[in-house]
Amino acid sequence: MSAAPTRSLPRLTGGVEPCLEHALPEGICRTFRVMPYGLHQGRVLVAATDADDTITEHVVTERLDRPVTLVRHTAAEIIEAVDEAYPPVEAEVESPQARRARMQMTQMLTRSGLVTAAELQRAMLEYARTGDPLGDILVSHGSLSEDVLVAALSEMHQLQRVGLAGFEPDYEIARRLPERVARTLQALPVAEHEGEVLIAVARPLSPEDARTVDEALEQPWRQLLANRSDLDQLVQRIHSHHYTEVATGFLARTAPASSAHVVATPAQRSVLLALVVAAVVCAVFRPAGTATAVVAVASVLYLLVSVHRIRLSLQALGSRLETDVSVAEVAALDERTLPVYTILVPLYREADIVPRLLRDLDALDYPRSRLDIKLLCEADDLETIDQVVALALPPHIHLVVVPDSQPKTKPKACNYGLQLATGTFCVIYDAEDRPDPDQLKKALIAFDRATDDVVCIQAKLNYYNQDQNLLTSWFANEYSMQFDLVLPALGASGSPIPLGGSSNHFKTAVLRELGGWDPFNVTEDADLGIRLHREGYRTAMVDSTTLEEANSHVGNWVRQRSRWSKGHLQTWLVHMRHPAQLLRQVGPRGFVSFNLTMATTLVLLMNPLFWTLTTAYLLTRWSVIQDAFPTPVLCIASVMLVVGNFTFVYLNVAGSLQRGDFGLTRIALLSPIYWGLMSYAAWRGLLQLFTNPFYWEKTEHGLDEPEVRPALDGRGSHESAPVHQTYEAHETLGAYASRVSA
Amino acid sequence: MTATPPTRVVADLEPASGVVQAVGRRPADVSRRRGESLTIFVAFAVLYSVIGHWLVVDLHVVATETLDRFNRALMVTADDPSTLAAVGVDYPPLAVLLLVPFAAVPSLTASLAVVPVVSALFAAFTLVTVNTMMRRALVVLPVRLAVLAGLGLNPLVVMYAALGSRDFLWLAFVVAALGALLAWYVTADIRFVMVAAVAFAVGTLAGYGSLVWFAVGLVMVAAVLARLGADGTEIEGTTVGLAAPTVFAVAVWSAFNLVVHAEPWRWVSDNRDVAATGLADQSPVDLARGTADLVVHGAPIALVVLPALLVAGLARRNGFALWLGVMLLVSILVPALATATGLTDSPMQLEGALPILLVSVVGGVWLARSAVQDNTLVATGLALALFASIPWTFSAMQTFRHQGLERAFHDAVTSGESQEGARAVDGSLVGYDAEQQMADYISDHVDATGSILTDDASTYAVILLTGAPDLFLDRVDRSDEAWTAAAQAPADPVHYLLLSTDTARDELSRRYPAAVTGDDPDLRPVFTNQRYVLVSVPDDDRAGEQPPSPLTSPGPPADTTDDPSGATPR
Repeated sequence: MSAAPTRSLPRLTGGVEPCLEHALPEGICRTFRVMPYGLHQGRVLVAATDADDTITEHVVTERLDRPVTLVRHTAAEIIEAVDEAYPPVEAEVESPQARRARMQMTQMLTRSGLVTAAELQRAMLEYARTGDPLGDILVSHGSLSEDVLVAALSEMHQLQRVGLAGFEPDYEIARRLPERVARTLQALPVAEHEGEVLIAVARPLSPEDARTVDEALEQPWRQLLANRSDLDQLVQRIHSHHYTEVATGFLARTAPASSAHVVATPAQRSVLLALVVAAVVCAVFRPAGTATAVVAVASVLYLLVSVHRIRLSLQALGSRLETDVSVAEVAALDERTLPVYTILVPLYREADIVPRLLRDLDALDYPRSRLDIKLLCEADDLETIDQVVALALPPHIHLVVVPDSQPKTKPKACNYGLQLATGTFCVIYDAEDRPDPDQLKKALIAFDRATDDVVCIQAKLNYYNQDQNLLTSWFANEYSMQFDLVLPALGASGSPIPLGGSSNHFKTAVLRELGGWDPFNVTEDADLGIRLHREGYRTAMVDSTTLEEANSHVGNWVRQRSRWSKGHLQTWLVHMRHPAQLLRQVGPRGFVSFNLTMATTLVLLMNPLFWTLTTAYLLTRWSVIQDAFPTPVLCIASVMLVVGNFTFVYLNVAGSLQRGDFGLTRIALLSPIYWGLMSYAAWRGLLQLFTNPFYWEKTEHGLDEPEVRPALDGRGSHESAPVHQTYEAHETLGAYASRVSA
Repeated sequence: MTATPPTRVVADLEPASGVVQAVGRRPADVSRRRGESLTIFVAFAVLYSVIGHWLVVDLHVVATETLDRFNRALMVTADDPSTLAAVGVDYPPLAVLLLVPFAAVPSLTASLAVVPVVSALFAAFTLVTVNTMMRRALVVLPVRLAVLAGLGLNPLVVMYAALGSRDFLWLAFVVAALGALLAWYVTADIRFVMVAAVAFAVGTLAGYGSLVWFAVGLVMVAAVLARLGADGTEIEGTTVGLAAPTVFAVAVWSAFNLVVHAEPWRWVSDNRDVAATGLADQSPVDLARGTADLVVHGAPIALVVLPALLVAGLARRNGFALWLGVMLLVSILVPALATATGLTDSPMQLEGALPILLVSVVGGVWLARSAVQDNTLVATGLALALFASIPWTFSAMQTFRHQGLERAFHDAVTSGESQEGARAVDGSLVGYDAEQQMADYISDHVDATGSILTDDASTYAVILLTGAPDLFLDRVDRSDEAWTAAAQAPADPVHYLLLSTDTARDELSRRYPAAVTGDDPDLRPVFTNQRYVLVSVPDDDRAGEQPPSPLTSPGPPADTTDDPSGATPR
């Protein structure tokens, strides 16, 4: 800042230079009461109410990236100029009362030395962008503890405080406020004193919220301020029975036909039994003909599944089918308009991974005060719960303890968390996930662009440990093909998308209305994708990736994969209970697509049989095998053996090339070995479907090599985004060619 | 208070940072114009089909090799038993398999109406690819159309597009691969590497000559990436992506040869293009002269385009121009190299100028793009050069030393008269009247499946023209052993033998030479013409093993029509 006297400098009343009118964002102008208006001797003149404030100076200098002179003006002068540059929208402009409260809070915290100038500056900047309460921002940044904030608020609003840690509630009193009101207002009756109900609240209730409480309670009440995290835990505890019931039984109760709590209906069992009996009878009386028929049916099915998958992949290679959101579009988002976003993270026996998870969530480019992160822990997993508690999380990260009940599955935990979600949108991440920092914003933009019937945005999944070993490389190959080629094409063709296990972003209200996930289905994600489609909703893909940890141990991988195979069979059985109804709901294209997608598991089951037959024939030239393959069947089988297999291998190569994972292309050529593992897992899954249909084979995470990465400020990671710059700036072949030809 | 360490998080784009090519996004490219492509495709496909129908069906200008491949395709679809073995290993597999869909209607195949359609479609596809290349080279529509007309009406192109030959079956894919590599170079979009990879692989299975362009393309891609500073992983990944399909195709085809013939390289040794007659013994001077003749008469624009590409590549550091120059040079040298190494017994055939012509046009297109402001001028020059070479090449087709049906094509086009019975420059007879007569006779008088024993390697044209391969017991139907057994004792399984009068090439004629001349008392001819003899087989005899006896089987009624071509029913 210039130390020169400013009286002789031009004033704001002389007008604002057009080039400076929007040099600072509106939020910063209004929050810091500043307005750049002129140039003087190479410096930008900025009108400010407090020209001596160092924070204001830092913020303005950093933003303008030029030498700055702050020139004292009255608030009225500045507001008038700002209003002229940014015509005010009533709901978005801070009221005088709110400003007073904020200033009061700021003074209280700085004078008492509870926050440093740097922390305050960072919080003020976020406030300028989002307009969220400054106290909440400071707490979400970790600059202030929730208890101190509650104390400050209590002082400001002259409200009593109440400590809820270790509090034993009176359930009768606590349940006087309906669950929905308690959850949405973060308010819970904790005691009754002289006819007055004492309600613990996280933040002072607005008059409108107070009216809601009035209506619900119908008796005198008084609010007491409480720690938000403690209150949240208490609300969960009070209503846990209700949450559990809904999480477990809602779908089975309201839409039993859509629930996998019964593996196969009696009708399905009868049909399957009849088919088996018919096959056995035919095999006894016409063994050769039966063998030929079975081989023919299997070959045709194989061909159809392959053609379907190849067609989808080629379609995706030919056109850009996912929603592309540019860095500029993300940057242009007005954070004041961002909705609350819920992130559900189911955890089970993953205590070790929690710090890494929190680090990765912390890197998300989204105002933390608008994040509602729920860490969903099972009640019997004390180690993970203790780990989470020990980390003393900020209030926007909630520990949700899911009571012990059957089935103990990820979807049940998600359903539990969904009931507590406060976000307009919600997303599932697995414990080891590393979403692109701007993924939430990209998803919002994708929702905004999509038609109203799109209620789910699926981000792409891939693996960060793809180079760890052969298995992880194959897995990455497979995911590149699935999420970069197949799913975008399914979405673009209006077919049902079997969702991936994480990074699916939902409109929360619609998801609740649908009953969330099926707790009895072990691939609840795939099932939900189909169910959404049946209800007339659609899923779109967004070009943003979440990196996960690929299973690097064969045993662990087989467990995970057999669960997927079992789940796909479950899902197929559920949705094919009434084929005609399904056909009506999803249309012929969707019907065929669904069946061919789910039949991928059947192909995996058939693979070993065909491989065995081929090998046996080559070695023995056994005529029985030859007879089972009449010429048309032989043609199909030959095409699948040679062209089909290679096409799949090459699509794996293509998926990797498409992503720029060049190191994986040669590994992709060995994919057939991987298919052998997949087939083994598929058979294991099939057997489990009969023996233990609802058993959730837990995948162990955290098996990748420990990593050491340079420290980087969490909030800043997306802003500096060196990878983006490198990516955009590199000279492409095309540019090079243009330069040469020019 | 959060305890999370503020640590940098790996973003998805990180793996892609620093790479030379565009991955994970779609760079700007020319917009698709399906209407324009479709119009060009249909226009040329119809043009070549109509010309081809006139030449093949009306004027009888068709190569025997073409009839052989169509017969094999017919055997795959309509034989009894139908079998993929008909494809054989002496042709690249797709040279036959690509015809199979067109042989689905036997009567249409027998009429030869589909013969020109196949090559016409592939040639039209080639021209569409060239048009797309020109769009990427920013050549304006009128000039594009002029270039397409100049290329499309080149007599070599017309001939090979209209006569059902196999050249365009593989050249279409090679040109598509070159087009994809050009698009890759312009846009840096890695998807085009995959397109080129698949095109090269399919092209290889349709014509082994594709391997040469594939090899040059592979080196070029690696070199371009290295020059732009790509790291080893990117170069390796990209070249693996480009090479994998072709390597796989060759490996599978070799494995197939191993399983079926116990020789993995049978497809090389049995390839019908491989020299067997010693014609390859030519001096370097002969080869050089032959090469010069080929370029001067078949693709004279190469004389301008090649130096221009080399100059642009070396003097102006235009990498793609240099690479296309190398590719054109290789195209020019390949016929001589093939002759010198014995990979062909048809040295310096005019046919060899077709790839040179096409690569020259691709080179000319790139020169136009590189000319930037003079783009239209260069492209117009290309079109004019192409038009100017039309009469020159057409004239050369009549007199060029080494050729197939070029002279017959020339004469048919200039006179509009049937070339039946005309002699090609190499002395072979043009036309298929004799085959047609025999086929007609068989169609009229034989209807029992597998009742005619024949060596399809010599009588394929007759089989094709009947449209009923199931009537014949040929070498493909069961196995060579089964066929040999039937040839030794034909009475049991068959009623007739169809013999070629050329006993040198017909295994059955060699076995029964007396029957060919009508001197075998047991095997009595029922229908003969200049090239074929159909003899009846007595039911109870074992020809060559038992004493002669009178024919007892009810043979077909004798045709008493007097035939001017020499066909003699008995």
